[in-house]
Order: sequence, then structure tokens, then C-alpha cells
Amino acid sequence: MHLLLFNVIDQIRSLGWSGAFELLRNGIVLGSLYSLIALGYTMIYGILKLLNFAHGDVYMVGAFLGFGVLTAFGGALNPGIGLVPLILIMFAVAMLGSGVLGVGIERFAYRPLRNAPRIAPLIAALGVSFFLENSAQLMTNGFQYNYDAFQLGGKNGNFGPLFNTVFSVAGSPVTVVQVLVVGSAVTLMAALIFLVSRTRLGKAMRATAFDQEAASMMGIDTDRIISSTFFIASVLAGAAGVMYGLYIGTTFYFMGFLAGLKAFTAAVVGGIGSIVGAMVAGVLVGLVESFAIGYVGGQWSDIVVFGILIGFMILRPTGLFGAQAIQKV
Amino acid sequence: MSISPGTPDVTPPGDPAESRIGVDSWVAESAGRRARGRGPAGLLARGWEWSPDSLKLLVFVGLASTLPFWLNEGDLFNFGLFTLLYVALALGLNVVVGFTGLLDLGFVAYLGIGAYTYALLSSSHYGIHWPAEATIPISMAVAAIPGLILGSTSRRLEGDYYAIVTLFFLQAFGAFTNTANPTLFGKGLTGGPNGIPNLDPLTFFGYELNSTKQQYFFLLLVVAVVAGALHFINQSRTGRAWRALREDPLAAEVMSIPVYRLKVLSSGLGAAIAGLCGAIFAATFTAVTAGSFGVALLILLYAMIILGGLGSIAGVILGGFVINISSQFLAPQNDHPDVKRWLFYGTIVLIVALMKPWYRAVLVLAGTIAFGYAVHAIVSATTAATWTSGAPVAAGSRSISQVIQGFVVMPHATATGAHGNFNTWLYVGLVVAAVVVRSLSGWWRLVGLVPTLYLTAMVWENILAQNPSVTALILFGAMLIALMTVRPQGLLGSARVEIV
Amino acid sequence: MAEPQPLPEQPQLQPKALLELEGVWKSFGGLVVIDNLDLVVNENEIVSVIGPNGAGKTTLFNLITGIYPPDSGAIRLDGESLVGLPPHKIARRGAARTFQTLRLFLNMTVLENVMASQYGQTKVGIARAMLRTPGMRREEREIRARAEEKLAFFGERLMGYRWNQPAYSLSYANRRRLEIARAMATEPRILLLDEPAAGMNPSETHEITELIGKLRDDGGYTILVIEHDMHVVEGISDRVVALDHGVKIAEGTFEAVATNPRVVEAYLGTSAAVTK
Repeated sequence: MHLLLFNVIDQIRSLGWSGAFELLRNGIVLGSLYSLIALGYTMIYGILKLLNFAHGDVYMVGAFLGFGVLTAFGGALNPGIGLVPLILIMFAVAMLGSGVLGVGIERFAYRPLRNAPRIAPLIAALGVSFFLENSAQLMTNGFQYNYDAFQLGGKNGNFGPLFNTVFSVAGSPVTVVQVLVVGSAVTLMAALIFLVSRTRLGKAMRATAFDQEAASMMGIDTDRIISSTFFIASVLAGAAGVMYGLYIGTTFYFMGFLAGLKAFTAAVVGGIGSIVGAMVAGVLVGLVESFAIGYVGGQWSDIVVFGILIGFMILRPTGLFGAQAIQKV
Repeated sequence: MSISPGTPDVTPPGDPAESRIGVDSWVAESAGRRARGRGPAGLLARGWEWSPDSLKLLVFVGLASTLPFWLNEGDLFNFGLFTLLYVALALGLNVVVGFTGLLDLGFVAYLGIGAYTYALLSSSHYGIHWPAEATIPISMAVAAIPGLILGSTSRRLEGDYYAIVTLFFLQAFGAFTNTANPTLFGKGLTGGPNGIPNLDPLTFFGYELNSTKQQYFFLLLVVAVVAGALHFINQSRTGRAWRALREDPLAAEVMSIPVYRLKVLSSGLGAAIAGLCGAIFAATFTAVTAGSFGVALLILLYAMIILGGLGSIAGVILGGFVINISSQFLAPQNDHPDVKRWLFYGTIVLIVALMKPWYRAVLVLAGTIAFGYAVHAIVSATTAATWTSGAPVAAGSRSISQVIQGFVVMPHATATGAHGNFNTWLYVGLVVAAVVVRSLSGWWRLVGLVPTLYLTAMVWENILAQNPSVTALILFGAMLIALMTVRPQGLLGSARVEIV
Repeated sequence: MAEPQPLPEQPQLQPKALLELEGVWKSFGGLVVIDNLDLVVNENEIVSVIGPNGAGKTTLFNLITGIYPPDSGAIRLDGESLVGLPPHKIARRGAARTFQTLRLFLNMTVLENVMASQYGQTKVGIARAMLRTPGMRREEREIRARAEEKLAFFGERLMGYRWNQPAYSLSYANRRRLEIARAMATEPRILLLDEPAAGMNPSETHEITELIGKLRDDGGYTILVIEHDMHVVEGISDRVVALDHGVKIAEGTFEAVATNPRVVEAYLGTSAAVTK
């Protein structure tokens, strides 16, 4: 443990300010993906008190849908249409497809279990997750597929504009795709906040999350509201999937599992049910991961990240912003 | 029995056979009578209920001990040894999930810890060759430690939160054994992705268990002892307290039950059983690798205890048999390539046959067969031959091959390549069709079922049979979902009432 | 241990205090629920707590049984402090309760419910249970006998075939009875009954009134009871304590408390004060 600490200090020295900024940048970009997925967890948990294990896999399906669109238009090297419309179509198809998938999952796996014992929907969720993951493995033969986004928009095999530098801080570049990811994540979150706080649907969602029975007595069609929640949550996850594809590139059938786990923790850290909390905590989890990779080293980083997350869950299960709940007797 | 002064005379509990129609007790028992049903199934259910638990265990051990005499070495390993190992593991998991209601998703890590402990203490990795009578208790103790620690987090974490923290633990364990592999005494502790090979066989007081048969009988003994011990614990005050705290932890706590301590105890006991299984696992495979202890195994174990019925020891044993045997038949290499096909179609026919009334089942099955031949005829008449010239995978006898080829539309491999993502669309189509059929009702559902069943056969022959091991995982996932909606108590569990 | 000890018949000049609360405070996020409460329950006494909804009656029970810790103040059972003890230890010390909302172990049988709550007074651990030693079997027999004895307290209501029925199959009134039986099986010195007559019809209410008297006279329990039904309160109470907003506003015989102007005001005033 002592040695590990010295290594970390050495690593911090050798990476310097520029390295630190790079880690910060990577953490923020990765974190905004976690935020988008965490929002889904927090919305679904808020409304159904269900840990939707399958949510991470919806994100995976989103990434593959984006890849499918890319392939259908001829692949990164030779797309049949311009860069901007292509990316827009990728987002649209992935978001819509994931949304429909999410609604389907709710309708057929969770809705029949509304009044079942607590453990039943959780196990069904494990089942859905396992089903989706392995179906994807079957469809993709277990291979990894790469968006090759650096070539997108480039002519004749040249690099495209996505990985060009927009600006630099302390000598470390920030690229177009990083700005794109953070920018679209922020836009989506802003839209979500508007939807939840300003629209009739948002009001109904909050009411249903607060007390489903009372909401349905007040004339709210709670089944429809729950479906809408799953749709929105899954749309966000699908968008995150495409962003991941554009930014990191590699999609494979198991990618949703770990990302989902970390995003769920972000939702808990942010205080489950809290939308702003999930956004902030998603970025935090991204930062923890990024700095752990940079300073602790790849082989131990997962253990450090999971250790921190376990510690947090145990010490403060109500989240950063959540209040201690009073047990009703 | 002593009665406090002033209470009225108490009649002993009435014999159920004596109660009369219409009397309170008869009414109270009528639900149970109806659930048991009539006919041979009802008789079986009643016989099951009446036979004492010791008799059940005896019958199980008796039947299981005949296996080595009619299975060859390889089959005994895959179908016998493996099943018993899984059953023992599932019994341990059942303590945590079934008895106490803690959703532990890190359980497989305890198995891994037990296995690695055995590997380090009985192999040439560090040159330590301790006998099994020492390593097995040590493996159990070492595995129990994280079980106790994780169990102690249940004071603050409930339900889903506990599930996620234990799942993190499993991930951290995987990362530790696979990538971290810290150097200790000049060697990687866990051997990284390659694991630790060349382990000693189980050796008790100088007696080596070398053959599969010996190991099988040893495991049978372990399963019988573990099942018996757990049964006794379940009937003791500890078992009652576990059930009580699963029902209502707060009420249990107020009724003098130390909820927290009992949760830790259950987690530790489950982990110790997993540690025992880990040591045996390592010894029978003579190697441990980091990849063995992952989420796939975890889901397999959950499928076992849930199919059998949470909390029911007999159910867990049954679930272990069903799940392992079906997953063994679906393993990529085995000597019975045809069996998986029969199992698959058999299960489907069985599920359809459960439909009431019986003529509906006949209609659907006959309709599917007719529909299939019709589709096949149309496709072969209107498209190129490559669309129907595919051959079924490893169909043993020629006649089965021909039947399948004449019934299922199977494009030749070159055709699927030419027709793009035929398989993907086929699979997605089946999932969508299943979803649509579920939402239909009455006769429409029957009508929808016919093409869906045919699509199932197509997907099976074209996709699933080609990748049986992935198929097994998909089917277990689907089974979990279906079971939760149709029969959450599993095969042998009792239905639970819960106020939500 | 197996047999309930009849109370020693000793002449007592000064009634002996069994449960004592001194200056107990409890607030939830600024809202004071129990406000500097003093309360004494003497041995072999039946004390009723009355008060409008939200007066802090159930919170009082939660404080005594350790579900919440008090913010300040002392709670003593037979001279020993209960503050800071976990609920199962308090139960072991001799305070058992029922729940207003009924919290039975629904999927366990009637008999098992009453057997489960004897955990605190029994000793056999898992090692002896696994081996099924003679000591374990003897204790198991004792547990069962004691459970049957507690159930016999309710006459025919919870007898015979009902023993092996799951608790969820019981009627509402029988569930209330089973809750009392379950609490009795922890061998308490004081029974805390939270609205034992709630939701019962008049004849069942009458029966429960008699039962509470019998619990004290035959069972030897000291009883603290929360009740809304004034007929029940009148029928059973040695002493009545009225709470309002966590403050003790009156204490004494039923007649004295029922006619106390502050109590009358608390009840009549609530309809105006609580409708927000």
C-alpha cells in the first residue's frame, strides 16, 4: 500500500499540469456519458423503485444502432452523405430505437410485476440484461466493431474533422468530438430539466414518482407515464451510446455492463431520484475513473474505482444531496 | 403443555382428515386442496407433501449414486460432477438469497476465493502441497471473511444497494485476479489471465481422489451433508429468524431477533459453502483461471435457485439438475449433438401442451406443422435454391436432417452472406413476434402463435443451434423473465403474499 | 424459564415503577414530536395513552422499543436505561409491542410467528442445529410448547388447524390477536399495545377489552396501550395519559382525564388545527 502511494505521487509529478488537464478533460467527457446513463437509472428508480439492470444494455444497443446506421451509409471511410446529416441520423435512429426498446422492456418484463414481491422485478431485470447482452453477442458473433470516427468526413482515407483540435489548455488539446459529446450531453440534460420541471408530462412524472397510487387516483394514467419515463431514459442512454461510439469507437456486446454499473453508482451518489444530482455525480464518477487510470495505473484503476464506489455506497447511501430518510413505522 | 390459569380447555389441533365440508377448517384448507389438483399430478404433489424430508434426501442420494454405473467417464464429469458442484453452490446461494432475502450478486467471488486459496496451498505455484483436510477448512474460512465483511454492509444497505455493492465486489475480485495479479514472493499471486495450473487432486489423509468416480461420490457426500445441515438449520430457531427478517426486518428486530447479526451470519455461511465448493472446483479441474468466476456463472446459479424455488432446498437441487443438464447439452462440444435439438423442441411442445383446453394445443401444433411446410414450399418455389439448401447443424441421423430441411427455411451459408443481415432480422423478428403474441388475447393469440412457433424453429436451426453456448445464456435470461411473470415461486417454492 | 412465573403475592405499599420516562425529547427535522415527556408505568398496571392523531403516541412506542433514539431524556425499564440499546436487546430486557399497522410475518404459519419471536430467550446456535443435538431438540420442544401456550390465551380463536395456516390467511381481528400472542412470546414484562381494537367490530372490541384485563390478571403483564376507542379505554385503564403535540396534557383516572378541559380542547380543536 505504501509503495502504491509513492507510485501515485511519482505519477502525479511526471504527468504535470498538462497531464492533469488531460485527465480532467477525459474525466469530464467520460463523465458526461455516465451522467446521461445515470439519468435513466435515477428516473426509473425514482418512478418504480426498480434498479433496472438492463439500462446499461440499452446504452449498448444504442451504440450498435448508431454503428448500424454508419454501416448502412457505407461506413466511416465512404459515407454516402455529409458528415452533419450522417451524425444526426445516427443519433436519431439510435435514440428512437433505444427508446422503443426501453418501452418494450417495461411493457413486457416489468409491468406484469407491478404488484409482485420486491425481488421479482429485480430478477426480471437481471434476466433482461442477460438476454440483451447475449442476444447482442449472438448477433455480433462476439466481435468488437469500431466506428473509426477519426475517418468520418475525411476524403480519400484522410482524417476527418472530428478529432481536430478546437483549443488547447496547458498544451493539451480539446478535440471537436469532445466538445460535441459534452455539448450534446448538456443540451439533452437541459431539455430534460425543462421537460421535467415545466411541462404537464414532467409534472405527471413527478407526481407518479412521489406516490403512484395517489397519482392514479388524481386521474394520471400512471402506466403511460411510466412508459414515457422509460422512453426518455432509454433515449438518453441511446444517445450516450452513439457518443461513446464517436468518441472511443469500440462497441461490443459487454460494454453496457460496466458502464451501467458505474452509472448506477453515479445515480446513487447523486441521491437517487435527483436529476441534477445524477448529472453532477456522473461527471464525478468519470473524473474518479480518469484520475485513477492516470495516477494509479490501468491494472489497479478498476479496483480503486470500485473501492471508492463501495465505500461511498456504504458511508452515504442517500447520496451527496439526499437527506436521511425517516423510517415510517 | 401447560396452560395459564383461566384459559379455557384447549383441544389439540384437529386432524385435517377429520375436518368436514363447510366447517371453518375445511374452508381454510380448500385453497391448498385446489392447488394440489387432481389426477396423477395431484397424487404426486400429495405424495411429495406427505413423504418426510429424510426420505426425499435418501431417494435423491440413492438415485444419484447409481449414475456412475451407467454413465461413461466424460458424461459423469459433465452431467454428474458438474451438477453436484452447482447444486452445492446453489445451496449456499440459497442460504443468502432464499433464506435471508439478501440479494448477493458477488457470491461467485467467494467461490473464486475458495478456489484460489486451494490453488495456492495445494500446487507447485509456491511449492506448498498441503492435504485437503487442511486446505478445505482454510478455503472455507478465507472465503467466509469477505462474506462476513460484505454481510456487515447490510446494516446500512438494503435490497438493490446491497446487490450493487456485492456486484462491485465481484468486479473488483475479477480485476484483482485477472489484471492486478500482485507480485508476492517473487511470483504473481493469482497468475493473471492464465491462472494457476497443475493443482494437486483432493487428498484426504494420504488417500488421493483421482478418478471422476471417486470425486463424484465425494461430492455426493458433500451435497448430502450440506443439504441435510441446511435443512436442520432452516428448521431451527435461526432458520425461523431468517424467514422472519426476510418478511419484515423491523418487526423481527422488535421481536428480539438480532437482524443485523443474522444477516452477517447468513452471508458468512453462504460464503463458507462457496469456499468449500471453490476448493473442490479447483481440485477437480486441476486449475483455476480468472475467467471462471464471472457474471455468467452468477446468472446460472440464480437461474437454478429461482427455477427450483427460492428458499426450498429440494427446489434448489432440482433447479441445479435442470439448469446444468440443459446447459451441458448446449455446450459447444459434447457427445450428444442431437439431444439439444430434442430438448429444445420438446420444451416448446411441452409448453404448448400445457395450454387449456387440450384441443387448442393440438390446433396450434398442427397449424405450425402445416404452416411450416406451406412456407417452405412457397419459398422454394419462388426463390433461388440457395434459400432452402442450408443443412441443419449436426443432426445425427439422416432422416431428422431431412425432416428439418423440408420444414424449416434454411438459407445456405453463402446466401445469408449475400442477403446481408438475414439472421439479425430473423432474430429481431422473433423477439418482436413473441412480444406481439403476448399482448394478443383469445383466438388471435392462437393465430399469432402459429407463425411465431415456426419463426422459433427457424431461429433455432439458423442461429441458435450454431451458437449453443450463447443460446444457453439467452435462454436462461429469457427463462428468468418468463418465470417471474408466470410463476415467481419456481417449481417447488411456495407462493408468497407480500403487501407492497 | 419455560413456565410463566405467577407474580409473587407481596403486599406493596408503594407501587413499584416498571417503566419510567424522564424528560424525553424527540424531534424530526425541527418538528418536536415528543416534548419533555415524563411518564411512569407501575408494575401490574394498565395505562392508556390517548390523544388526537399526530399527538406522538406511536412515536412514544418507537422511542421505548428503540426504533428511534430519543434526542434527550432517560427511558428506564425496571431501573435500567434502555436508551441506545438496539430494539432486539430492548425486547430481551422485557418490552414487547404490537404494531398499529400490523406487521406479522405474513408468509409464516401462525405457530411459527409465535415461535420466531422467542429467539431472544433461546440459545441454540447453528452448529448445534446442524447436528440436531438432544439439547437442541429439547429447546425446540420448549419453544413450541410456549408458543402453543400463548396462542391458547385467545381461546378457540387461534387454535387447532389455524396453527399451520399462513398468517396472511387470518382475518383482521385474528391478525391483531396473533400480534399480541407474538409479543407475549418474547416473555415481556411490559406489553405495549398500539391500538389493539382498531378496525374491530363492537363484539370483537368487547372481547379485546376483556382480553387486555385478562392479560394483566392472568398473564401478569404490565400494559401500556394506545387506544382511540373511549369505551375500551374506560373499560381497561387504571390510569390514562393524554398527549397533544408531544406534550402530556393530562393524567389520572379515566373520568378525570376525559373531563379535563385541555383534553376536550385538544380533541375538539384538532379538527380546525389539523386541516391544512
